[in-house]
Amino acid sequence: MGCQNMTGFVDLYSEGGTFLHRIDARVKIVAVLFLSVLAFLLSNVYSLTLLLAFIFILLFLARASLSRTWFALRFVIRFMVLIVVLWPIFDPSGTPVWATFGPVKITEPAVWRGVTSAVRVGCLACVWYILMFTTSQRDLVRALVKMGLRFDFGLALAISLRFLPTFSATIDSIKDAERARGMELDKGSLLKRSRNYVAILVPTIVSALRSADTLSLALHSRAYGARADRTYLREPKMRRQDAAALSVVIALLVVPVFFKFVLGVPL
Amino acid sequence: MIPCPTADEGPIAAMRNVDFSYDDGTEALHSVTLDVWRGEHIALVGGNGSGKTTIAKLLNGLLRPSRGHVLVKGNDAAKESVAALSRTVGYAFQNPDHQLFCSTVAEEVLFGPKNLGFADAKAVEKADRALSLMSIGHLKDKAPLSLSLGDRRRVSVASVIAMDPEVLVLDEPSTGLDAGEAAELMRALDGLNQEGKTIILITHEMRLVAEHSERVLVMAHGHVVLDCRTRVAFSEPEALHESGLIPPAAIQLAHRLSDFGVSPEVLTVDELAEEVAKVWGARI
Repeated sequence: MGCQNMTGFVDLYSEGGTFLHRIDARVKIVAVLFLSVLAFLLSNVYSLTLLLAFIFILLFLARASLSRTWFALRFVIRFMVLIVVLWPIFDPSGTPVWATFGPVKITEPAVWRGVTSAVRVGCLACVWYILMFTTSQRDLVRALVKMGLRFDFGLALAISLRFLPTFSATIDSIKDAERARGMELDKGSLLKRSRNYVAILVPTIVSALRSADTLSLALHSRAYGARADRTYLREPKMRRQDAAALSVVIALLVVPVFFKFVLGVPL
Repeated sequence: MIPCPTADEGPIAAMRNVDFSYDDGTEALHSVTLDVWRGEHIALVGGNGSGKTTIAKLLNGLLRPSRGHVLVKGNDAAKESVAALSRTVGYAFQNPDHQLFCSTVAEEVLFGPKNLGFADAKAVEKADRALSLMSIGHLKDKAPLSLSLGDRRRVSVASVIAMDPEVLVLDEPSTGLDAGEAAELMRALDGLNQEGKTIILITHEMRLVAEHSERVLVMAHGHVVLDCRTRVAFSEPEALHESGLIPPAAIQLAHRLSDFGVSPEVLTVDELAEEVAKVWGARI
């Protein structure tokens, strides 16, 4: 079946009590943005590796198990390998030249540039993974709304995230229903196979539209949109440790920027 | 129709010590063994999550057992594709919206027989028969998805009947039908049963079970906890209660009246009326 447990794929969040879980989601969002900017600013493979090591320590502190992280990032890791392999093939600049295969020239600086980019991609993926791993979708949306996202946009986001697993379960069920009527999805000519997917697509779209329609009625019947402003049961509050974490995050960005752009250290 | 297993013909479908767990680790079935004989009218009942749908999906190969064997017509189902098994075991899904996609009801009902490779004339014949059995012949040119829930359900059942399988598994087919429509559906199924088709009805409606099925399989927590004649199953309501099932009102009333000489072994309102008339008729 393979797709039975899509929730693990869609929702990376894992409940936990580490300080990374408890920290205000707004601080985490700012931290992730800052660390992403930092990953783009750093162009030296050593400093990027240092950043990656720092992010790995954070992963460790969030108690993300190795197998779960591998599962969540398996596509990113393939992508990183691809970058390292392809970069030198398409970038012939610089010396010394390590090897020549016909028109393809493999140079040392190009290999390093490939590695640097791969590490950068790794940093970005891991840092966003920490956010998704330690923050529930509910907290994430609430933080975004608190940071100025319009409430209805936030609700739309929350609903789409909430319905992803439901949606994939519906698709599985539809596939089963058509198979039970003797359809063989991957048999026949290309035309026949693409026609087969119509049998999956139509009920999927129809049931998505039907549930969207029902959902909007359910929202309205619970007085959604009755008032423009809205009160909240739980207001996220910045605590002392959140403020401390935020200042660490700011320092993490400002110090390297100072060293790189003011003092001219080649970071 | 009373099944009469003969020496040369084994069960049309069977499960042997079948365990099943879903990918997320949910253990849905524990060591289920059962035989389904040609021509039986079986009700598969039990609380939500007790494993009814899992059994249905194992019988037509949509799910494969984690341990044990599923046999269809004596052959190991593990070696056959879902398409091949659907020739013998037809399965009408709980939610009709999960299988309707054609632009007319006629095309929808033709989809299954065509997949099975029936010649055009034969396929049309089977589809027409299914449409008339479900009394939806007049909806032939309508778009299935624009119909009412009751009609959509009848189209989805018709689309499985049209494939002419020997075993028909129907997952809660009466949901969303009004009393009249449900009675009509059950009459059609009884008719197919008379012709020798095996019916496996998954339902929560004990009245339908009491009035139509001759054998009851009660599921609880992935086990078959009761497998017997319907009359026997309802004569011991305690066992049903444990599985969260409540007998229909006529049977409950018969049990309350058993101290007054009414036989508790009735199944339908008609039988109860007869029994009451027999006991009190003499006195009045």
